[in-house]
Formats: sequence, structure tokens, C-alpha cells
Amino acid sequence: MTLSATDIAAAVAAGRLTATTAIADALDGIAARNPALNAFTDVVAGRARAKAAALDARIAAGETPGPLAGVPFAVKSLFDVEGLPTRAGSRINRDRAPATRDGALVRKLEAAGAILVGGLNMGEYAYDFTGENAHDGPSRNPHDPAHMTGGSSGGSGGAVGAGLVPIALGSDTNGSIRVPAAFCGTFGLKPTFGRLSRAGSYPFVASFDHLGPLSRSVADLALAYDAMQGRDPDDAWQAERPIEPVAGAVEAGADGLRIAVAGGYFARGGHPECFAAVRVAADALGLAATVEIPEAARARAAAYVITAAEAAGLHLDRLRTRPGDYDPAVRDRLIAGATIPTAWVHRAQRFRRHFQERVLALFEDVDVILAPTTPCRAPRIGQARMVLDGVEVATRPNIGLFTQPISFIGLPVVSVPVRPDAGLPLGVQVIAAPWREDLALRVARALERAGVASAPIGTADHA
Amino acid sequence: MTSPPLTDEAAGAVVDAMIPLLGIPMAPEWRDAVAANVKATAAAAALVLEVPLDDAVEPAPVFRA
Repeated sequence: MTLSATDIAAAVAAGRLTATTAIADALDGIAARNPALNAFTDVVAGRARAKAAALDARIAAGETPGPLAGVPFAVKSLFDVEGLPTRAGSRINRDRAPATRDGALVRKLEAAGAILVGGLNMGEYAYDFTGENAHDGPSRNPHDPAHMTGGSSGGSGGAVGAGLVPIALGSDTNGSIRVPAAFCGTFGLKPTFGRLSRAGSYPFVASFDHLGPLSRSVADLALAYDAMQGRDPDDAWQAERPIEPVAGAVEAGADGLRIAVAGGYFARGGHPECFAAVRVAADALGLAATVEIPEAARARAAAYVITAAEAAGLHLDRLRTRPGDYDPAVRDRLIAGATIPTAWVHRAQRFRRHFQERVLALFEDVDVILAPTTPCRAPRIGQARMVLDGVEVATRPNIGLFTQPISFIGLPVVSVPVRPDAGLPLGVQVIAAPWREDLALRVARALERAGVASAPIGTADHA
Repeated sequence: MTSPPLTDEAAGAVVDAMIPLLGIPMAPEWRDAVAANVKATAAAAALVLEVPLDDAVEPAPVFRA
């Protein structure tokens, strides 16, 4: 499946390709490569073939297909898929009744003509930055299967990075779309908090959960994002925003935008190549300006506290009845989270408002901010420790150093894949003000057009 | 206002005190890892708690971007 979503939809609409063939190609690729990559935990081949045949019949009858006609896609296993228990990477959830309806975003993509081919591996209950999973085994990086995909949307990064599907959906609470996008060399969009419906997805931290797409091009990202916009009464947290399409805007270029590189916290504490990737992007845009995002370390800390507390609250009944069935790495954090004083959580939520006000003030002077996505390349699978700035630290929590402060206040971000050298891919966060996904995507597209952001298919599992 | 970092012993004591209240059947071999996470969370919270906030700063559980 080397074609982009844009190419597939155009070919299907023009009658040069049938949806049936597009889906058969995707299923063949998954069958061939998933044993090495472990990206998919469910493949819904029968459903996908039936939907493709039905779409082809409608096109043959003269119906105009949707903008994603015949495009295969897959979703992190926390999205409801009719007929499957929503496992969310866990053992416990496999005992749930099968979902009776697809999640809201699955329905939106299929309404636009896309066709779901499967559910994707993920870190248990999304409490993860590695893509490892104690029950299903780790998802593997298509650029080097000995390395992590990143997480928690690990299968989403792996499936798109390997070219098994042109579009996958993930969730991002503290970085779980952006991290696997960076490690697997794909584009990933975490929209503004409250933009896309979360209905029919398994939650993690209600205060921070976002859903969004990963792809190998900005055009595909925009295509999927536009198809998923729109108010959904089933999501009580979703903001009252009109549909604001971006597909027509992404080619506008970066000229006229005020863009700066994040300094301070975002310019230290990572491996040099991560900052080199940001420099490559900044140079391509002709940037010299830097901006300091104040109190970023505290923002990360506050996100950490709220995450642990809310996740523990969500899981308390299961911790009381089935603690032994969790991934131990997740269980120990959830139990610890249940002991957090409420006063700390309240204070962290008040700090969130304070931090938001300070960061929003920055957007009076800049439109877009660049920062590294991760402080390191994809570590090896199972690597528990790493060295950052000369200090040995735990790998898991520190992968999210640069993503957590941004999702903490819900800013829209595109992680763009940049390779400053011949090593594994890295990501650069293109961060915009709330509701300005269009600006982040414009800059991402400018970087893609300049040749510094690209997502060649990872084929290392073939070696 | 800063508090001294939580010691391993104090973190363990927090776990021992809270587990009966929470009703979680924790295996003894999980205790040290849970306590290590309590300690890490306390360190994170300390960073947040040392910021003085005006009483008028509203919490953000209902958050509008």
C-alpha cells in the first residue's frame, strides 16, 4: 500500500481503481508484514471487503463517492469497532461485550468513503510512551524492528510508517500521537482539545484526551481531519465549533506567518540530533526568532499529577477486583495515582489555567512555534534507562518531556517527520494557537514542500 | 512554599496507609514499585505547588481551549 489516501480516493473516484482492489492490496500487505511489525491486533477483513464491494456498486450505479473513497484505514484499539470488544490494549477489556456501534470518528471516515481494515496495538489503556504491550507484545518500528514505535498509539505509528495503511487514528493525552509519529517517521495531528468527538473511544484522562490522525503526507492528514470535524452531541466535552475545513488552506505556504523556535526548556534535556531536526526545519523556513514557553517543566509536572489521578479514578473498580490482570508497569502507576491528595490535583488544574493564560499571551506575537517532539530517537524495545543531558533517567516517562506541556493546554500540533542525518526518524512539533490547526498544517506543508519533512515507507522488517 | 522530598520510607508509609482505605488487594511484591511512583508524583507535585497562585485563578477541569 504505497499509494497515499489522496491518490487512492482520486483513482477510485475516476474509476481507475476499485475500492475492492485497494482493500485487497491493503489486506495483502498486512498479512505479509504484520507478523514482523505487530501493528494490528485485529483485522476486519470480511467487513472491509463487504464495504468495498458495496462502495464499488454505488459508484457503478452513478453515485459520487466521498473524499476518502476506498481509502483503507485502521484505528488504535481504544476506538469502538462494532462486533469487537474495545480492548484498549488491555487483557481486562477483552471480557467486555462487543461494541454495538463504531466510534464517532470511525463513522465519520466511513461516511466519507474510507474503509476500516483493523484495530491497532497500543500501550495498555494508553498509559504509555513506548508502544510496548505486556499482553500482545510490542509494536515494532518499521525503520528498525528492534526499536520501539513509541506510544501509546504504537500500532498507529507502525502501520502508517510501514505503509500498511495511509491513515490511522490514534489518541494523544500526553503525546501518544506525536511520539509514535516521530519515532516511526510519519506526520501526526493532535487537534485542539475539544475539536474532534471522543464518543465511542475508551478514555484515559478526560482532562487531556484528544483523538487524531497519522499519515505519510500533510494532504492526507488534512483530508482525514476535515472528514472528522463536526459537532457530535454524544461527546459532552466537545467544543461548540463550526466545521473549519483546512484542505484548501494547507498550500498557502508559511509566508506571512510569524514563526519562532521554542527556547529554554525545549532547547535542552534531549539528544543533540533532536535539536538538529528543529534547526533543519527552522532553517528551511528562514527562522531566527526564538520564544520562551514559560514554566514548561511545571506544566509537564502538573500534567503528570492530573494524569495519574484521573486515570486511577477511572480504573479504581478494576484495581480493586482485577489488579493482577494489568500490565505491571501500568498497574503500579495507577495504584500510586489513587493515593494522590485531591488538593494537589485541584492545584494542578488551577496551574493549568495560569499556564494557559501565559502561553496564550505568546500567541499575540507569534503564530506558530517549533519544538522537538521527543528528546531521543526510538529507543530499543525493552530499554528501561537512557541518558539525557548526562543524567541517566527512566526511558518511559521521559519520552514525553516535550509533548506533555503542549497537550496540557490543548494546543493543536502537527508532528512532522524530519531526518537530520541517516539515523532513525525524528519529529518536530509545529504548534499553533487554539483552533488554528490550519496554521500548523500550512507550516507542516511548507516543510514538506521544502523537502525537509517527508515520510518514506519503512521497510526494515523485510531485511 | 516547598516541602522536603519524600523519602523512600515515607512513600512506603503513604502506600501502607492508603491501600486499606482504597480497598485495593495489593500484592506485597508490588509495594516498592508503587511507592517509587508515589515518590515520583510527589516530586512532580512539588514543582507545581511551589508556584503561588492568586485565589482568583480558577481550576480547569472544564477546559475551553
